[in-house]
Order: sequence, then C-alpha cells, then structure tokens
Amino acid sequence: MSAGRQDPGRGPHVRTWPVGLGIAATIGGAIAFVWSFVVGASNAWIGGSLALALLGLGLALAFWGRDLADDEVIAGRYPVPPDDTDGQAALATQLDEHASVITRRSFLSKFLLFGVGVFALSQAVLLGALGPWPGSSLFSTGWSKGRRLVTEDGEPVTRDVLATGGFLVAFPEGGDDKASSQVALLHFVNGDFVPQPGRESWSPENFVAYSRVCTHAGCPVAEYIDVDQMLVCPCHQSAFDVLHGAKPVAGPAARPLPQLPLAIDKDGYLVAQSDFLESVGPGFWDAS
Amino acid sequence: MTDHDLKQGDRGAPRSRDHDLKRGLGRAFGVRTSPLRPAARWLDTNLGGSGLLREELRHIFPDSWAFFLGEIALYCFIILVATGIFLALFFQASEAPVAYQGSYAPLHGAEMSAAYDSVVNLSLDVRAGLLVRQVHHWAALVFVGALIIHLIRMFVTAAYRRPRRINYLIGVSLVLLVGMNGLMGYSLPDDLLSGTGLRIAFSITESIPFVGPALASLLFGGEFPTSGLIARIYPVHIFLLPAAIAGLLGAHLGLLWLQRHTQFPGKGRSDQTIVGTPMVPAYALRTTGYLLIVGGVCAAFAAFVQINPVWLYGPYRPWDATTAAQPDWYMGWLEGAVRMWPGWDIQIGGLLIPAIFWPAVIIPGLIFTPLFLVPWLDWVATRDGAFHNVLLLPGQHPARTALAAGFITFLSVLLVAGGNDVFAIMFGWSQPTFLRVLQYLIFLLPPLIALFTYVLLRGRARRWATTVR
Repeated sequence: MSAGRQDPGRGPHVRTWPVGLGIAATIGGAIAFVWSFVVGASNAWIGGSLALALLGLGLALAFWGRDLADDEVIAGRYPVPPDDTDGQAALATQLDEHASVITRRSFLSKFLLFGVGVFALSQAVLLGALGPWPGSSLFSTGWSKGRRLVTEDGEPVTRDVLATGGFLVAFPEGGDDKASSQVALLHFVNGDFVPQPGRESWSPENFVAYSRVCTHAGCPVAEYIDVDQMLVCPCHQSAFDVLHGAKPVAGPAARPLPQLPLAIDKDGYLVAQSDFLESVGPGFWDAS
Repeated sequence: MTDHDLKQGDRGAPRSRDHDLKRGLGRAFGVRTSPLRPAARWLDTNLGGSGLLREELRHIFPDSWAFFLGEIALYCFIILVATGIFLALFFQASEAPVAYQGSYAPLHGAEMSAAYDSVVNLSLDVRAGLLVRQVHHWAALVFVGALIIHLIRMFVTAAYRRPRRINYLIGVSLVLLVGMNGLMGYSLPDDLLSGTGLRIAFSITESIPFVGPALASLLFGGEFPTSGLIARIYPVHIFLLPAAIAGLLGAHLGLLWLQRHTQFPGKGRSDQTIVGTPMVPAYALRTTGYLLIVGGVCAAFAAFVQINPVWLYGPYRPWDATTAAQPDWYMGWLEGAVRMWPGWDIQIGGLLIPAIFWPAVIIPGLIFTPLFLVPWLDWVATRDGAFHNVLLLPGQHPARTALAAGFITFLSVLLVAGGNDVFAIMFGWSQPTFLRVLQYLIFLLPPLIALFTYVLLRGRARRWATTVR
C-alpha cells in the first residue's frame, strides 16, 4: 500500500532538506541558548533560541515520520465486541459464589457493612480541622462604638482632613480586620446627600461612610466617579449611587453597600457610632 | 527466545554452542544479526514479553490531523510537569511578610508575602526563571485550549459512542480538573489579581445555600483573607490535582491503546478493520516531533509574549483593586456569566440565596452535567448502542454539529462578557449598554448560529449522500 516514492536500496523516500534544515536549526538554537544563558541575555534571547532548537528538531522528526508514514499504511483488526453471554453468565455465577461465602452469614455480613460504614463516616470529622466554624466572623468587622477612622497609613481622620466633595479610604484605628472593615469616606456638599430613613444621624456634617466590600463578589469597590456620584467595583462593574444609600444602579450587585454610622467627637475626629448594623460584603445564606 | 536459551541463562553458563553456531552460520550466509539482540535477550530474561512488545510496536494509529489535538494536550501536561518542577525549587508557599529586596526598583522595601516575593525574584533575578514561568503559564493556556478543541472533535464526530463511553467521561473529567488546577496555579503568586480571584472564589463558595458559609470557612481556613491559604493551595496545585490528572490521563491512554483509535470513514476501513501507520517508526517519530513542536511554540510565546507580569500588579492587599482584571481565558466564560446575571437576590423568610449563586454555581453545573451525559443523551436520541470504531463526519449529521455550534456560541458570548469592560473601552462603547446587548445575544445568538449551521450542513449532507454513495 505504498504511496510515496521509493529510493532504490534506501527504503522509503525521506526529503533531506526539511529534515536537515531542522536539525541545523536545532544545533544553532542550542548554541544560542547556551550563549544567551551564560551572558545573561534577555528573556527573548533565551526563549527564542530554545524555541528555535525545539521547533527545529520537532519539525525534522515530524517531516521524517510524515515521509515514512506515506510508505507504510497497514491494516489491522479492532478488538471484537464481546459477545460471550455464556462467559458473562459464568462470571456472574462465580462472583455470586464468592460473595455467598460472606453473605450466607446474614447477620455478620450486614454487621460488617454497618461497621465499615460507621468507620468511614467517623473519618469525616477530620474535615473539621480544615477551618473554624464561621460563627460570628461574617457578621462583625473591626468597627465599634467610638473607634476612630484612620487612613491606610494610620493617620486619624478629622473633619478638616477631607474637604467637601472629597473621598478617601478609611479603616478602624488599630488595624483590626482591615479587609472587611474598609470604608469609602465621602464628604458631600451640603444639601446633595439624602440620608435614608432612620439613618439621619449617621452622616454628621455630610460625612458618609460606606462599606467598600462589594455586595456582589467581595472585591473592593475601588473607583469613585464623582461626576456621577457613584462607587464602581472594578471586578464586575457594579455601580452604587452614593447619594441614595449606595443602592446598586448598574451591574450585577443586588444589595446596597452597608453604611457605617458615623459621629464626630469633641476633638473633631471622625468615629464610628457602632459596627455595621448588617453583614458586609457578598451575600450568604443567613446574612442579615 | 526459547526455553532452552532461558535455562542456559539461568545457570549463568556461557552462551550455548548452539547459539554461536547459529550466529556463525548466519554470518556465513550473509544474514545480518542485529546488534540489539543482547538487549532483546536482556529484556526477555529480566522482564519477559518480547513477543507482546513486538506486537505493540506495530500498534496501528489511523491518521488525521484531528487526532493530534489530544496529543497536544498530553504534551502540554508533560511540559507543565517539567517546568513546574523548576518553579517549585524557587517558590515559597508562605504569606509571611517580607520586605522586598530584589532588583525591581518600584517595589523596593515594599512589604509583601514571601510567596509574592519569591515569584518576583524568580521572574526578575533568576536566570531563565521568567522564561520557565512563562512557558508554564502558556502551556497551561494551550493545554485547556487543546482539551476543549479535542472535546469538540469528540462530540462532532460522535467518538464517544460505545466502546468509548467511559473514556469520554474520563476526558470530560480531565477538562474539569485541568481547569481547576489552572485556577489554583494563578492563585499562588499572591499578586493583586490572584488575591482578587481568590476573594471572588470565597464569595462564590459562601453563596451556596445552607452549607455555603461553613464550606467556605473550611476550604479557606476561616473568613477571607486567611493566612495559610497559599500553603493550602500549593500541595493541591503541585500534587493532588496533578496526581489525579496523571492517573486519569494514564487511564485515558490505556483505554485508547486497548480499544485502538477511532478512524474516519475511508477505503478499507470499517468497525472491524483499522487502517493506519504503525507505532514504530513513522508514528513514533512524528509524535515525538509534535511534543517538541508544542514545547517550541510554548517557548516562543514565553520568549516574545509577556504573560501575567506579577511585578507590575503589586502584592495582594484586600483594599487594592485594579481595572481590566480578567482571569485566564478558560475561566472567562464563568467571569462573563457572573457579570451578566442580573442582581436577583432571592429572600426566603430571613434566608438569602445571593444572585451570584446562579451564574457561578448553577450555570457551570448546567454546562458540565449534560456534557458528562453526552453518550447517554446520544443513545436516547438515536437508540444506537452498538460498537463504533468508524467516526461520523461533522457534515454528515447536521443536528449534532449544529448543537455543538450553538453550545460554542453560548460559551463565546459568555467569554466576551467576561471582558466587557475591556471591549467597551477598546471600542468606545457604553459599558452598561454593551452588557445589555450581550444579555440579549446570549439568548439570540446560540440558536441562530445552531440553525444556520444546521441549514448549511443539511444541504451539504444531502449532496454528500448523493455523490459519494
């Protein structure tokens, strides 16, 4: 079933040029690879020479094999689909016999199965070692009554730090649980901001703090677009209207960003009135 | 090799006179004795089975470019293991804080995890370290791509029919495991993107009704961000999942070997007769060549196309974020689903099913469950439970191919949605409007493309039937 051209006395015809060129490229690439490694050349040199060497040898072998393949196409048999119903029946009978050695002791065999099951289940407790029970960790953050707001560098935030129209990222003083406690602190122009019902006392002097953990998938809601008065999450583009309780107005988020009740103490420092009154971040089964 | 020879060998006696005589006669009559004869003798006396080996060296492989897709995937795995061993020599699976001292000036003195520090050092201060890291990453991207195209090929040629149902299941499992391990891999460097990805993974786990919070806490070792998470992911990435992948790959190839490869219809080919080239020498040469070519392509990408430059992203800090954050391409469909699904939280009494549960948990389930069931769904549709070794041509059965086209379109729209912010900026579109357009397209485009494929192929299938038969 020969398809290719035969060279008399040399077997199947293998094209010399592509194979020879490939091998030459490999030798050149290998030398360049060692050179570029030794002199500490750039990634492009080290990688490029390695690529040349690999591709050269690979193409040489592929060409060689390709030419050989043209000359040797053979036929064979697929394994025959089993049609041995007698054999299968015999196997089933045999397995039955083996099993019956155990199952004939009806009580003991069931008791054995039960015992193995109890043992297997008992090992599941090891999973408990993997992590703590969530407990209250998902409901609490680093905020508490009177806790000062500080910047990332730990500088306390006073009413004078943030001009109207300004925005900064704040954390609870002491650095507890910075990930879930981070807030976006906004200072609105008088009259812009409309407090949500029941939250009239949470925004002294138009300072408003929202949780910065997105209620969709937990990314930091890091972009503040002041012309639109929106906080936008860079991960999935949820947008929250900061003038109206940080309700979601675009993107996949469903719940508003929780608002942190703020106060200004007698020295002019911004402090929390309490922790968040609802769980921050993405939703979960028993989230409040 | 005869019993006689074996007995001689066992007694440790010199070669029999008989043997020398035969060799002498061979020489005298010009019959060449192979220099490999001692090796073959060693093989038989120490391991046995030279007859079986002789037979298997002539194992027949049918020829088609489409049959090399799975091989590309296999070779990516080999490249990943080889480069992964190199990377493991440098990587520190630890979140212990360190101050960066390496050669990259913008990060000088910055506090970061030992894991991130080790990856930046490996990339910028270990000779050829960046190359190996980028080969590893590129090989992973090519790996999943090859697996998916391989899977599509299986589907449109109906290669999953008996006797290959089980091997198909193994294959789909491999797609899942390899994708998961890719996710683990890009979580390890502890840069800003990888940390953000883990944060989202935590949120998704948390969203599962009833068990979510506890499951997330168990898997991540507490409320995210937890220290020790990198140390936990590391053995999963370099041992647990690779071992599972290697085991399944072995089973996949073992079954392929035992059952022999399927073939496209052609002269002399039937469900009983296989036509192709033998393993040695042609096939072995070519496939070794393909291994090197896959390695060469990955090396070329690694040399000239930068991937995941973690030093530019900075270390992960839970209050930092970056725009245009995309996962690796094979997770893009999931990212797209998460972006597209509207904020439909479901409140039941005081209990909540967050909106993200549907796109991130249910949609992957709805994609993979039917994918696993394909051989049985095919049986329901065709009632064909027979052994098949000859493949169907994709154009021969328009319905199956149309279904595949629709499915691929569905995933492609999701993939585009996964980068909707990037596309919106690139083309100057309004991002919410573009998302809304995609929300319509996800319903419109897959059936349209499927219908188009069906109509296109039906005509060709008719012509094919009249001309060829």
